Amino acid sequence: MFSSSQFDAAAAFSGGGFTSSQPSQLNDSSPAASKSRDSQGLVPVTVKQISEASQSGDEKSNFAINGVDLNNVTLVGMVYEKVERNTDVNFVLDDGTGRIKCRRWVNETFDTKEMEQVNDGMYVRVYGHLKSFQGVRQLVAFSVRPVTNFDEIPFHFIDCIHSHLRSKVKVEGITSTNPSSVTSFNTPVKSEPNGSQAPSSNPGYAQYSVDGLKDCDKLVIDYLHQHSDMSDERGIHVNELSRELKLPMDKIMLSLKTLGDDGLVYSTIDDYHYKQA
Amino acid sequence: MDTSNPAAFVNAELLHFYVGRRVRALMQVIRSDGGIVIGKSTDEKQLVVKGSPPPAPLTTFVEVFGIVNNDKSISPEIWTNFGDAVGIVFPSHSSC
Repeated sequence: MFSSSQFDAAAAFSGGGFTSSQPSQLNDSSPAASKSRDSQGLVPVTVKQISEASQSGDEKSNFAINGVDLNNVTLVGMVYEKVERNTDVNFVLDDGTGRIKCRRWVNETFDTKEMEQVNDGMYVRVYGHLKSFQGVRQLVAFSVRPVTNFDEIPFHFIDCIHSHLRSKVKVEGITSTNPSSVTSFNTPVKSEPNGSQAPSSNPGYAQYSVDGLKDCDKLVIDYLHQHSDMSDERGIHVNELSRELKLPMDKIMLSLKTLGDDGLVYSTIDDYHYKQA
Repeated sequence: MDTSNPAAFVNAELLHFYVGRRVRALMQVIRSDGGIVIGKSTDEKQLVVKGSPPPAPLTTFVEVFGIVNNDKSISPEIWTNFGDAVGIVFPSHSSC
């Protein structure tokens, strides 16, 4: 009896823990279109991107590129002018697009050991936090690791481009692939290195599709948006949507459900009237 | 922070845009004689690197950071050994 009550308690606790985290897990797996409101976790950037990032607000010193908050970033570059002191290690990171001062606070022996392995002229990957000090943008690094596999350098540039394109597309709301704008990144003017194997194409871009709205959803939301001023607070009836967009009712309802889950539309007086959020 | 003199990554075709400026170039070492290293650039053209000899034995792939002399040669300042294999080998089937 004692063991069974313990088992029940454990099951109840794990059940409670699991179900409470499940909705948030479901939210995380929903289409990426709804996630653009949150700041990204770790953004790969180049020094040039940092220098061009806009700064929002004087107090918060938050940087943003394409509407994405830049708090934690990762860079790959060569270390210069490493200066070791008692409490911190300063160095300049040069990634081929510019140089940025980095500072690594050294509190424990682990930190000291990590920084001892880093020398001038060595390629490293830095994870850190962007700060602005007296107008100068600096990086407070919390992890500095020497690069051992040098594919990491072209990978980092590709990662930056990928991340930049994703957030740019979210800002501009493009939902279809746009090969003409993507191929501009393949010209040699952008200083992206190629591996010596010289892969013949960039397969990622050929199949690049946006995590945005599907066509049907986009038609529905566009229609709602266009007619939002003319309609009154009751919203637009689904029959009108089906008639005007010439789509079957079940597709309309499915789109509205998806858009409703994302928080882009809401039903008004009944389940057949919808308005854009 | 300073973005005034970025050292761009170049292949052989881009070298003549950067004459007199600092660049980085990745190349595959073909031959190394004393002060001259001959290598193959990422676009299969020949690069000559004349100047201070590399400090340690060179691996197959090397990155040279230095000033461009003309559209085929670089004066090296820093050598970085990149190892014996770079790049991704794509599997033979097409669905990658």
